[in-house]
Amino acid sequence: MIGPIISSGIISPAWDNLFAVILGMGFGFALEASGFSSSRKIVGTFFGYDFVVVKVFFTAAIVASLGLLYLSYLGLVDFSLLYIQPTFLTSAIVGGVIMGIGFAMGGFCPGTSLCATAIGRIDGLVFFGGMFLGVFLFSESFSLFENMYYSGSQGAKMINSVFGISPELFTFILVLAAIGMFIGASWVQKKVKKVEY
Amino acid sequence: MKKINNDGSFYLNPYFGGVILGTVLLLSFYISGRGLGASGAVKNSVAATVNVIAPQHVEHSAYYSQFAGGDKKPMSNWLVFEVLGVLAGAFLSGLIFNRLKIKVDHSPKITERRRLLFALGGGLIFGFGSQLARGCTSGAALSGMAVLSLGGYITMIAIFGTAFGAAWLFRKNWI
Amino acid sequence: MERKYTILAILLVVLALGLVVLPKNNERKEIDPKVLLNGVAERSRYLSVDQITHRIIENDPTLMLIDLRPAEQFKTFALPGAINLHPDSLLTQSGTDLLGQPGKDKVLYGNSDLIPEKAWLVCSRYSVNRLYIMKGGMNDWFNTIIKIKPATGTPSSTDLDLISFRNAARQFFVGSGETAITTAAPVQKEKVPVIRKAPSASAGGGC
Repeated sequence: MIGPIISSGIISPAWDNLFAVILGMGFGFALEASGFSSSRKIVGTFFGYDFVVVKVFFTAAIVASLGLLYLSYLGLVDFSLLYIQPTFLTSAIVGGVIMGIGFAMGGFCPGTSLCATAIGRIDGLVFFGGMFLGVFLFSESFSLFENMYYSGSQGAKMINSVFGISPELFTFILVLAAIGMFIGASWVQKKVKKVEY
Repeated sequence: MKKINNDGSFYLNPYFGGVILGTVLLLSFYISGRGLGASGAVKNSVAATVNVIAPQHVEHSAYYSQFAGGDKKPMSNWLVFEVLGVLAGAFLSGLIFNRLKIKVDHSPKITERRRLLFALGGGLIFGFGSQLARGCTSGAALSGMAVLSLGGYITMIAIFGTAFGAAWLFRKNWI
Repeated sequence: MERKYTILAILLVVLALGLVVLPKNNERKEIDPKVLLNGVAERSRYLSVDQITHRIIENDPTLMLIDLRPAEQFKTFALPGAINLHPDSLLTQSGTDLLGQPGKDKVLYGNSDLIPEKAWLVCSRYSVNRLYIMKGGMNDWFNTIIKIKPATGTPSSTDLDLISFRNAARQFFVGSGETAITTAAPVQKEKVPVIRKAPSASAGGGC
């Protein structure tokens, strides 16, 4: 079967939402089981006592990238039909910086706050609620940021094209870099003062 | 693979967890042609709520009108269903690993109230930023990285780079 | 614990390296003629001249215009941002690479629809996705956007919107210094009233 399955019409689009639930369950389970429902565990990366975020995040990205590239090579996935996050330079950076502040402040991101909420953590629920306010605030003040929102559009640009190399080569380099990060993370974690969490 | 942490709870080996997460992500692309996400569901919910209260406002808003108003159904959206799944999956995991407990997770050095205030503020700021960047760590960063999207990588670097510095500013809350 | 991770790390590196060294798969899969026939009958491949003009003005980065006309005609005038591709090179490596770029809607056009239709058929047979035809080609484009089309009968409000859009678009293109077009409109760039919309992706999107 050639993916994306829904787009190629092998399974009717009505099933799409059902799959969304199932995939979401896998997502939520994997996150919670890895410890992403604890804000103190998440921010451990920034203080050196728990690098679970780095390890899970980059392993997942690598597995997915390698998987997609292999499937594409084998003709099992049509890469041109996949949704590639479009690049809007200015808003990607500014939005990312703002999110970084919110991340460090609240110790969560939307997905992990949901996991925390699901197991009863009130701070997760409050964070998620705060997000609603933040989104509302943005939507209402959109006209102030409209120009920034649409500026620097590069379309669905892929990062390997910035360096002029193939996606496969980029992923290879990424794998090497990630392994380096994992080794570094383990080393730092051993050296850092133990934190009770 | 067994790893007991300070709070006595069992967590999966992070690399194993990463492989599972990566596989789910891969399946998501293979089945639906898109990655996972979270902040999009919040965006749609806000738009749907505002639409119920003030439909004219939604129609005339340059932002809301993109996904709500008229006969658009923001709540009948892939991400909203996925988010419901996330809640269910996380609950299941919490159930299995005996982590279900209603409490406020906070450093012993600060009060519950302070933690909740910062969680609210952090969420608000994060929510704002996620709209500007058209995604969050799951949707823009993680899923974007899976397809080697430039925007995804940029956002990921911006989030984590900033968070490193900002965490130091807020360190009293954490360590 | 260290040994286990070393093995896993080596496995990962080997997998990634495998992707790099594996020979480029040039084999093109042909799709079933029945599926192709469905695609032909479906007619969803047509994009109107107005739709394309809108996306040109908005600088939509997901738009890729492919001009199938001879090189001299392309040099005289072509739609902004269009790439010239000779129909003979559709199935060459460079043609395939062009058509295989992810994240883009490829829109074929010629003077009329004759050649684009054939090109569409050939490429779709080799599973090129997100491939479209600008209905009517350059002939229609000129007649609709550049030349003033007289309103037939009493125009409805949507017709009036369309007319004002085309007027604005005319200013946009004529103002960019095209001397080959004869029109009475003054050569000045008027602000085009476009509604800013995020370009919609084929598989839905968001975060």
